[in-house]
Amino acid sequence: GGLTPTCPLAGEWRGRMEEGKAHSLGGVFAHLEMLEARAREAAMKQAAAEQRKEQLARLEARVQELRQQRDELRAKVELQEQGQLGKRGAMSDPAQHSAQAVLEWKIRKVKSTLQVFYLTGISGKLTKQGVCFCISTAYEGTYLDSYHLDLLTEPQVRIHHHSIPIFIPLEQIAKKYLQTDIRRFLSVLSDHLNAYVGRRYQADQLQEHFSDQIEGTMQRNSLCNLLVFNYNTSSKSETFPFNARLLYGDLCCSLPTEVIVSSASDAPAALAETAAAHSDLFRRLALHKAFGS
Amino acid sequence: MDETVAEYIRRTVLKIPRDEIKTMLQKWGFLSETQLQTINFHQMKDNISQDVVQCCEDHSASIKQAAVLDIIYNHSYPNKRMWSVYQMNKTEEETDFFDLTDFRKKFKRHLRSALKNVTINFREYENNAIWIRIAWGTPYTKPNQYKTSYVVYHSQTPHAFISPSVLKSNLPLLCQALVVASNYQDIHEMELRSHSLNSLEDMVFKRYSQNFETYCPRPLQESTVAQESAGLRIVQENINEKERIQRVNRDTFGDGPQPKLEFAEYKLETMFTSDPKLEVLDKKEPFRCMVKFHSPHLLESLKSLAPAGMADAPLSPLLTCIPHKARNYFKIREKKGFFPGSFVSP
Repeated sequence: GGLTPTCPLAGEWRGRMEEGKAHSLGGVFAHLEMLEARAREAAMKQAAAEQRKEQLARLEARVQELRQQRDELRAKVELQEQGQLGKRGAMSDPAQHSAQAVLEWKIRKVKSTLQVFYLTGISGKLTKQGVCFCISTAYEGTYLDSYHLDLLTEPQVRIHHHSIPIFIPLEQIAKKYLQTDIRRFLSVLSDHLNAYVGRRYQADQLQEHFSDQIEGTMQRNSLCNLLVFNYNTSSKSETFPFNARLLYGDLCCSLPTEVIVSSASDAPAALAETAAAHSDLFRRLALHKAFGS
Repeated sequence: MDETVAEYIRRTVLKIPRDEIKTMLQKWGFLSETQLQTINFHQMKDNISQDVVQCCEDHSASIKQAAVLDIIYNHSYPNKRMWSVYQMNKTEEETDFFDLTDFRKKFKRHLRSALKNVTINFREYENNAIWIRIAWGTPYTKPNQYKTSYVVYHSQTPHAFISPSVLKSNLPLLCQALVVASNYQDIHEMELRSHSLNSLEDMVFKRYSQNFETYCPRPLQESTVAQESAGLRIVQENINEKERIQRVNRDTFGDGPQPKLEFAEYKLETMFTSDPKLEVLDKKEPFRCMVKFHSPHLLESLKSLAPAGMADAPLSPLLTCIPHKARNYFKIREKKGFFPGSFVSP
């Protein structure tokens, strides 16, 4: 509603009227219009403010509503989860545990069995076309090289690929045993390989650890079945070094079959006895051990 | 000291890269350490070689000693020569006790009985490899030290690696001497040639990494496809195919480095198959064609073909059989009989 002129205004109006009957009626009406407009503006502003207040209140209420909803849902989810866990824990825990544990134990056992087979020296794996064998060699507790043999089984047993050194008589051994007795074939081949790495190991050890006692270079060959070298019994260079010639006649053996130790022709006779003793030693002991003693 | 010897030493020293000259002279062992100290190895190679010759004059080097320097140079830089592989056979199955002194004696004796004017030098290396250097002459002239053949032989193996000299006529003599000295019966050339001697040895002695199926714990190589940390939302569409290719490649080539070959040659003698109506070739003759693959490292490049997307995996067995068959010259003929197609001749 509009604002009714209050007393002061009336007073003012009267005052104005009193003041100057000179003011025309138009001036008064203009003044009234102005006051009306002012009142209208004020009313509109108030209305807008109230509207805003209402909207704010509505939105706040909505926020509250949503928050409440969210809390409810959260509580529901938590309850569900707990409920599930509870279910799981309650029903299948012991069963699952044991099944899993058994599987893990089985896997560990298989892995260790395979490792044991590998360590025994001959292990194999079935392939699409046959078998692949792995021969791992060792000499006196030290594991040395591994060699592989890929065999085909159809239509006959034959060698497909291999990593056996070329100076090992693989074809000969295969001709003798591969078709008839594969176990024997593998055993013989394994003997050859183990003996070869054993001889090589001895020669390497000698060259590495007793190089001060060896005079000149040591003559060897690929199979390490013939070793010729000159040596002294101590690290000082003596006037009459010995000459040793070790022949390993048996390719499956890592000890020599024939040993000839000689001293120079002008050496004293006593050395001949020592030479004989050394010869015997080399025939019985591993080369680097013989030098160590 | 002979002028020719001096000149030969001078030229050999000039071949060696300047930084290596001192080490090689030390390996040679002909000049003492004190003498080596007197040579300035930072001057021009021409001057270094003159100084070396001067020092050798004091000791009167012979051609045999000069030849040893040549062997040392060729052993350090074997890739400068082209090597062929020869295979020897024997029927007897007795164990061979390879005696080096025996071998050297027999080889020299056999070679000298046919041709007196030869210079023969031997040098043994750690891996049971025997290097033989032969300089050839004629019945009327002294050996030409600049036209040498080299033989690398590993004891108790049926293979020899020969780098022949330009004078090819001496090759049969060389092969014969080798056969006699190593207690074999005959020798023939394999279809395998390369500059890289070590790779030839690896292939023939099966020292390269072949792929064997075993249960032995083999360290699994991490996938070479790099995982980007930001790529959590990037999905490789073809990841299955990529992994398949990697797996097949690994099975074919193995994990380790491949032997180094520079080329592979395929001579085709197959029939030209086309629409019979076209009548391209009236005569039923094989279409002769040669395909040669060249590369600084042929097998590595073949290995990277499939992962790079340039070829389908698995590759043709004609390419992948190279290291297993130890050959890089192939003749492909038409297979006669029920199966049309080609087969590789021995």
